[in-house]
Amino acid sequence: MIEIKGITKRYGKHLYALKGINASLKERVTTVIGRNGAGKTTLVRILSTQLLPTSGTATIEGYDIIKDTKKVRNLISSIPQESQLIGILSPLEQMQLYLMAKGFSAQQAKAESKEALDQLELYDFRNAPSDTLSGGMKRKVFVAMALAAKSPVIFLDEPTTGLDPLSRIEVWSAIKRLTSKIILTTHYMEEAQELSNEVVVIDQGNIMTHGTIQHLLSTFNGKMRAEKLDGEEYDIKIANVAIKYIEKDKVDEFISKGYDIKRINLDDIFLSKGVMLES
Amino acid sequence: MNPKFILYFAWYYGFFVILRGPSYLVASLSLPLALLFIVTIFAHGSLVAISFAVAGGPIAIVAANSINGAADAAFFRIQIRIQDLYVATNITSQDYMFALSLSYLVFSLPGIVLYAVLGSYLKVFSVESALPIIGVLVLLTLTISNLSFIIAGLLKHIRNVWGITAILSIIMTVLPPTFYPYTDIPMNLIYVLSISPVTPAAVLVQGIVGKEPLLYSMLFILLIETVVLTLLGRKFIRWRE
Ligand SMILES: Nc1ncnc2c1ncn2[C@@H]1O[C@H](COP(=O)(O)OP(=O)(O)OP(=O)(O)O)[C@@H](O)[C@H]1O
Ligand SMILES: [Mg+2]
Repeated sequence: MIEIKGITKRYGKHLYALKGINASLKERVTTVIGRNGAGKTTLVRILSTQLLPTSGTATIEGYDIIKDTKKVRNLISSIPQESQLIGILSPLEQMQLYLMAKGFSAQQAKAESKEALDQLELYDFRNAPSDTLSGGMKRKVFVAMALAAKSPVIFLDEPTTGLDPLSRIEVWSAIKRLTSKIILTTHYMEEAQELSNEVVVIDQGNIMTHGTIQHLLSTFNGKMRAEKLDGEEYDIKIANVAIKYIEKDKVDEFISKGYDIKRINLDDIFLSKGVMLES
Repeated sequence: MNPKFILYFAWYYGFFVILRGPSYLVASLSLPLALLFIVTIFAHGSLVAISFAVAGGPIAIVAANSINGAADAAFFRIQIRIQDLYVATNITSQDYMFALSLSYLVFSLPGIVLYAVLGSYLKVFSVESALPIIGVLVLLTLTISNLSFIIAGLLKHIRNVWGITAILSIIMTVLPPTFYPYTDIPMNLIYVLSISPVTPAAVLVQGIVGKEPLLYSMLFILLIETVVLTLLGRKFIRWRE
């Protein structure tokens, strides 16, 4: 379990990337979603002991990220959003080094690396210079590192950004096979829905909503989403698209007004930014 | 400490890199070899002058590769964010820094071997002087690599690093008595130049090969610089930001 206790992070003098976040993450897989600049990476980096919070703290399986840093690092693997491979080394070499830094022996590190590379269909590229891999393949090598390390707690910051649909499914199935606790950030709602039953929505450094997917969607019970370009009736407007959450019995009425009707999914929690939850 | 990680890292990132990108190797050799050439011309082939330039060669190579470490470490920290990946593992910042430093030393090996051959042929180096010289080169690698980590930690933008390393490698390797007898300049100046760890290293090597008096105070300075720069490096590397 991860317990986040009043974490704030200030960059420079005025920019608060996190504004006093509290949460307990209890489910096996937790997804953190939020817009660009919401604070997801900042939160993940603080939890995985890469960045110190300005105030507050958190515990991971009971260990404090500030006081018990060593023990926390023993428990976790963290794949940063922005890390890139060392171009002149091969994927296998870099995975091996990473796993050795995680405490594996050289042989063990090599064996685990090969297995994880195979799982993500990268085995044939294991000895190629990393800068000859495609962008998505490079990203998958990092995911492979996390899979191979098999740490009890794994942080994945946008693991599937830039991956083709098949690769994404490979990564998903690998994640599902793990028994570790996983905290992942993503911009893909289907990913959150596919992998996790707990979602944290962050917006401008605050947690907007947090709960199981069923719980979050339950606030939309009996509703549908109606959208229309330049529509006059709306709860929210994104670019020029009017979005209105309507009761099911109003569907025909809105169709006749030229609206498209969609089923509610996680997008709506994100889109409505809690508007629906409050009203 | 994780010595296995350090050794593997240095082997991969020091040795494999030589095979995969030899141009950098040539780059680190170009300055000492060019100066050796100039000295040979100016000294009209005087063996005394040449032997000083040969004795300083390994020092210049090690210094150049360790200063380039500033660009390398800054690249790892700011650009490709590999440092961030390693922060959340079981290694310490010291392991990471040792691993990088050792890889710079391994990377310098072909140049050192070249000079070892040249120096043996010219009777500058002997079997007995080998071990103490290696000791000096190790200390030099540590001091200058740590200076590089300090620079890498202070930088905000990777763009600035290239200029800084270019200036530093001139100040640190050409000005100190790397290629000329240290007794040719006033002793006070030697102490001033000792700001660069290359100075005590070069003075020591000239003493070890018996070309000049051995100055033990320089060993003391080099050791102090190793300790101080290692501690500062640890502070400035920005391990956990
Ligand atoms: N090193 C930094 N220095 C200054 N400001 C920063 C730094 N890192 C992040 N920020 C700021 O903190 C805020 C949160 O950034 P963060 O990277 O956590 O967002 P994010 O939710 O991960 O976004 P994305 O989806 O684009 O990855 C942003 O306003 C960003 O500009
Ligand atoms: Mg991010």
